[in-house]
Amino acid sequence: MATIDEPLYPIAILIDELKNEDIQLRLNSIRRLSTIARALGEERTRKELIPFLSENNDDDDEVLLAMAEELGVFIPYVGGVEHAHVLLPPLETLCTVEETCVRDKAVESLCRIGAQMKESDLVDWFVPLVKRLAAGEWFTARVSSCGLFHVAYPSSPDQLKAELRSIYAQMCQDDTPMVRRAAASNLGKFAATIEQHHLKTDIMSMFEDLTQDDQDSVRLLAVEGCAALGKLLEPQDCIASILPVIVNFSQDKSWRVRYMVANQLYELCEAVGPEATRADLVPAYVRLLRDNEAEVRIAAAGKVTKFCRILSPHLAIQHILPCVKELSTDSSQHVRSALASVIMGMAPVLGKDATIEQLLPIFLSLLKDEFPDVRLNIISKLEQVNQVIGIDLLSQSLLPAIVELAEDRHWRVRLAIIEYIPLLASQLGVGFFDDKLGALCMQWLEDKVFSIREAAATNLKRLAEDFGPEWAMQHIVPEVLEKINNPHYLYRMTVLRAISLLAPVMGADITCQKLLPVVIASSKDRVPNIKFNVAKVLQSLVSVLDQSVVDKTIRPCLVELSEDPDVDVRYFAGQALQACDQVMMSS
Amino acid sequence: MWKQFLGKLPRKSSKSDASSGSAHSHLSNNGTASANGNPIQRTSSGNVVSSRSATVKRTASAIFPSSVVTSIEPLLLFKDVPNSEKHNLFISKMKLCCVVFDFSDPNKNCAEKDMKRQALLDLVDYVDAGTSKFTEPMISASCKMFAINLFRTFPPNTRSSAGGGEAEEEELMFDPAWSHLQLVYDLLLKFIESSSLDAKIGKKYVDHSFIARLLELFDSEDPREKDCLKTILHRIYGKFMVHRPFIRKAVSNIFYRFVSETDRHNGIAELLEVFGSVISGFALPLKEEHKIFLWRALIPLHKPKTLGVYLQQLTYCVTQFIEKEPMLASSVIKGLLRYWPVTNSQKEVMFLSELEEVLESTSPAELQKCVIPLFRRIGFCINSSHFQVAERALLMWNNDHVASLASQNQQAIMPLILPALERNIRSHWNQAVLNLTENVKKMLCEMNEELFTACKEKFEGEEERRVATEEKRRMIWERLETTAAFQPVASNTAVLVIPAITPPIAAVLS
Repeated sequence: MATIDEPLYPIAILIDELKNEDIQLRLNSIRRLSTIARALGEERTRKELIPFLSENNDDDDEVLLAMAEELGVFIPYVGGVEHAHVLLPPLETLCTVEETCVRDKAVESLCRIGAQMKESDLVDWFVPLVKRLAAGEWFTARVSSCGLFHVAYPSSPDQLKAELRSIYAQMCQDDTPMVRRAAASNLGKFAATIEQHHLKTDIMSMFEDLTQDDQDSVRLLAVEGCAALGKLLEPQDCIASILPVIVNFSQDKSWRVRYMVANQLYELCEAVGPEATRADLVPAYVRLLRDNEAEVRIAAAGKVTKFCRILSPHLAIQHILPCVKELSTDSSQHVRSALASVIMGMAPVLGKDATIEQLLPIFLSLLKDEFPDVRLNIISKLEQVNQVIGIDLLSQSLLPAIVELAEDRHWRVRLAIIEYIPLLASQLGVGFFDDKLGALCMQWLEDKVFSIREAAATNLKRLAEDFGPEWAMQHIVPEVLEKINNPHYLYRMTVLRAISLLAPVMGADITCQKLLPVVIASSKDRVPNIKFNVAKVLQSLVSVLDQSVVDKTIRPCLVELSEDPDVDVRYFAGQALQACDQVMMSS
Repeated sequence: MWKQFLGKLPRKSSKSDASSGSAHSHLSNNGTASANGNPIQRTSSGNVVSSRSATVKRTASAIFPSSVVTSIEPLLLFKDVPNSEKHNLFISKMKLCCVVFDFSDPNKNCAEKDMKRQALLDLVDYVDAGTSKFTEPMISASCKMFAINLFRTFPPNTRSSAGGGEAEEEELMFDPAWSHLQLVYDLLLKFIESSSLDAKIGKKYVDHSFIARLLELFDSEDPREKDCLKTILHRIYGKFMVHRPFIRKAVSNIFYRFVSETDRHNGIAELLEVFGSVISGFALPLKEEHKIFLWRALIPLHKPKTLGVYLQQLTYCVTQFIEKEPMLASSVIKGLLRYWPVTNSQKEVMFLSELEEVLESTSPAELQKCVIPLFRRIGFCINSSHFQVAERALLMWNNDHVASLASQNQQAIMPLILPALERNIRSHWNQAVLNLTENVKKMLCEMNEELFTACKEKFEGEEERRVATEEKRRMIWERLETTAAFQPVASNTAVLVIPAITPPIAAVLS
């Protein structure tokens, strides 16, 4: 440490590093801002470091982003919350830059700091900052200001509050759509901090402005505010002011707006109460379910269960169910798929009779859908399905669907169905399984895709766990072992994998008598990959088998493999031998 | 008024009293009825009015009921009515064309669709002939018709839709109604261009909201539509002086949104193309507003990853500015450096070619203002491991103007470029890059041998000291960490002491 005697100037180091042409070094130094601050001490951080940062913000956006982030957690380094306000100026500048990420991060940091500041400090420092940004000449400043009002508002005195509300109203009518969008997307947050009586007047009039905006991008964000505002208002106010807007939006000429409504509608039901829901929201929702645009129907279909849960069964059967029937034969596969993923949840709402009578046919037709995702979505809700219609009825229609999915050309679909097999088996029972599904499970072991073969092996293990070793001995093991004669080494490897998974379930005896000989025989395979996998499997069998078997059979085989010409085989054999030694020592 | 003028229209055919049903059968027998000069006069005015209002409501709810569009009837040709009636006929034709048909089913309303087509064609001819000034009701009816037909929301973007499988096709979605849309666009263009349209009256109907909605259509995926829009916007900008500031502002807003919010828009190239000619028409000296447009809208347009789609038009706009006002060159270059791509080599090549074009019209005095950061960046590009980037950067020296600029600033440039060249010679993998590097090196050497040698020696010295410099940097930070660890921090917050700094502390204590 030869340089230890030289005096240390932390700020100088920072300035030096920030001048470097290598952006990585500049980034590193900004990321260690807290170190510099700690070395400086609180006072000098406040008086030197922070002013320096406020003036030096002409760097790459990446560096500025890091700075915005660091400053958000900087309160301890400037001397605690009473000095927090010194952090505001540099962040204020960052709120006005061109790059959106930097601005967003600066706003986030300001909110974080503002949340910790004392009330009087907020009034003295934070509110003026918000006002300055809102009056900013360039839209970036005004956009940033919209995200800060909810922090500034609560601690302000009445007069200032009135001023802040009126400034926000200006933001909602700003010339630049970017600012109006920011105002729309932050309205819910701001409204949550506002007193009930102002909510009804000021905020609602801002909301109305936004809902009538020319730009659909602004209206879109106003819809998002509907549910949030609805929850803040008294039910009767909500009916008076939000409901007409949402009903209007559900017929907006822009499908994006209708899509938003379809996503949000059910949240409003609670806010307006049952009466208005029946009178206005149900018709609106029905319209959306029959929308001309598939995207809207997708969104609406995906919410059908959530919506029905709020309604009385009678209303759901009368109004929603007919639409569901239509959607189940929709021309868009994505609509059907969205419906299939939620439709089973409707059963408890509708009750048994309506379910059997009306829902079941829909459900069965979706199960036969030509698009695999639709079928898969139904099958993945199998437990609910079973509860509703009982296993007998189910199994007749289920089986063809499963068989078809099991052979689907998309391997992800096959993978998904394999993962449901153990669940299916436990629900359907052994008998049904043996007849129909057993063959499929074997077939997957020879799939072209590795992930499927791997999943098939795991599936066999889970089946053996569920139905017990005896059943497995009868139905699984012989067929698996037979496949060891497959001419393709990859399939032989799958068998080894299955053996290593099955062994712990089957127990020492069966493993020793049936499984082990196959493994040992494979150690003579001509393919090195099989041989080192034999070594791996043997290693895993050590814990299952008796010590005597290990010594008599496994160890000699491993010793032989450890002298193999192939380096990998020798390596894994060595590993396995070590494992044998360890087991012996610990026992 | 509608009923009044209908009453005045001459009735030609005795069939006029027949029900609309028989009119239809007539049409279906003879699809070109109105074209061969034997059109049927419509009988009841109520029919069209009601079907039109139904249409308006329908687009509002965006649901296409199949049954509404049943009862429109053909009108006379312009050449078949006396001049005094032409204005009224114009308006009724415009109203007829307000009916929007469902083209998703090609067999639906065939006769009516053809009727509308004929009406549009006749209108195009009439406007093209430009016989007399358009009256205000005519302009109003026209703009209403344009709005109803053209201003629509585009369906979801087919290409960006998520959740698709491998079978997703990359085909563009074209509006099935194009056969009508094309005529409406044609008519709009003729209408705007026509000397019969008085800009003073026209501006009331071709207003801000009309223009704003027209601009929204630039997001169309159909190149034919964007082409129509481009020409129309250009003509509107030319004809309606009062709307120019608004158009500039609205287009800027589209650019801002594209750059800072969505990153997706289909019509940037077309909008820039229009602006290329707008910019070349700016009067000198440039207004501050226009310069702000350059800095705040055009330069940030270099950021999106789809830059390649509109680079040519963007470069044209930027160079137009510099040609008008050479003093802008340095700020444009600084802007490019600000948005210089870090990970996208394709974009980097584009930046280099734009840079070369900008340098072509940059004066030595302007270059002085940004020479250091510029050539530092070029140095980085020369060292790029992507051979196309490195090649492109080295090829800049083949440009005489750039080479002469470099030569005039050799004192600043040599120390930045020579190390880059040396690094390439030591370790670049690509033969072509190596050859080019050698060429440029030779060029620099011939430029000023003394300076060349000095820089080379300096570089070699720095290379030797590099490890030491890095070690020194590490030591400085370590010491800083040590000092920091001993400083108390505001008591209300716990600060984690990073374990990595413990050894140095121990070293200091011992």
